[in-house]
Amino acid sequence: MNPIAMTYIEGPVVEEEVRFTLVELCQACSAEEEHVLAWVFEGVLEPAGSSPQDWRFSGESLRRARLALRLSQDLEINPPGVALALDLLDEIAALRARLQRAGVR
Amino acid sequence: MKFKDYYEILGLTRSATQDEVKHAYRKLARKFHPDVSKDPDAEARFKELGEAYAVLKDPEKRAAYDQMGSQWKAGQDFQPPPGWDTGFEFSGGDFGAGPGGEHSDFFEALFGHHFGTGQRGHMRAQGQDHHAKVQIDLLDAYRGAQRSIALRMPELDAEGRVALQERKLDVSIPKGIRAGQHLRLTGQGAPGLGGGAAGDLYLEIVFKPDPKFRADGRDVYANLPLAPWEAALGAAVMAPTPEGPVRLTIPPGSVAGRQLRLKGRGIPGTPPGDLYVVLTIALPPADSEAAREAYRAMAEAFDFNPRQALEE
Repeated sequence: MNPIAMTYIEGPVVEEEVRFTLVELCQACSAEEEHVLAWVFEGVLEPAGSSPQDWRFSGESLRRARLALRLSQDLEINPPGVALALDLLDEIAALRARLQRAGVR
Repeated sequence: MKFKDYYEILGLTRSATQDEVKHAYRKLARKFHPDVSKDPDAEARFKELGEAYAVLKDPEKRAAYDQMGSQWKAGQDFQPPPGWDTGFEFSGGDFGAGPGGEHSDFFEALFGHHFGTGQRGHMRAQGQDHHAKVQIDLLDAYRGAQRSIALRMPELDAEGRVALQERKLDVSIPKGIRAGQHLRLTGQGAPGLGGGAAGDLYLEIVFKPDPKFRADGRDVYANLPLAPWEAALGAAVMAPTPEGPVRLTIPPGSVAGRQLRLKGRGIPGTPPGDLYVVLTIALPPADSEAAREAYRAMAEAFDFNPRQALEE
């Protein structure tokens, strides 16, 4: 009798191997297209390509778009506010990483 | 089941206006939002706030909640009185607590059967994409790993109630993955509708806290305590790395905070990360006469004023 072979599901690392179209990004975060358009306008997301049909979002956009969606839903923040919050959160994360590198917990 | 005082959670009295409810929620939600707050209880507090707000912002639900009376205290054992909600008509819909938001038993008992998850995206044939976090050890990122993970997902049962279904997934974690990155598992999200494709599942990678190592992107940091004489005179000591200890030469005259870089010993990849060993200096305790004598001899031997800079 053959031993039962376990099959492990594999998938790409989004940040390194995936680029999203507008439709794919909306599907991946359950976001409305109009929200994503507003975030691109505010500079929260920076897709390559000139028109929404050609846009390609980096894998890192997934994290940013989901964060933007949570902030706008949970805290009822408008797109400029979301953009500001994301910039500040990035800055806090960079400062925390510096502290951590220096051994401060 | 414990009674939940939604007014107390939002810091309000029962006479609060709808504007005051909104104001209190927004203020507290900003404070405890898990993306913003580092409070270890932030996630639990935020969930509680969301639940309280979902009830109190909605005049129908608030009226139903209020008519249970104010004699209840938070944490009291509670069963909803039979027919407590007769005469109320709920207009349904979802309350924006996130996809398939999980609520307390208390909330489910009162409002659960009125509101399904309202599965969004019915128009589209493709199933929804789902998200989950998976915790791995730092060493898994060095070597790659195979993990069986249990995911709990809210699903609608035959009566339209939300129940948590557990399902097991065997996942291959690729070598070189970093904290905060996502794996996309095609077709492991919600089933499609009308023959449509299933959605995808995104797994966010989180490292288990490690007492020895901290990761920053591809780079890994570890503290290495030295005795004062090892730092001053130089030494060869064993330093920890996630893949096992290595022999490390400490140059003479090393000071606390100095970082020694072990190139390529961070998380693998192209290029691989580096491992930084951060030197710290540990003072031996003066807990015996011999030790105190040694410290006295040092005081004699050095013409050393550590506060020089303060006096200038």
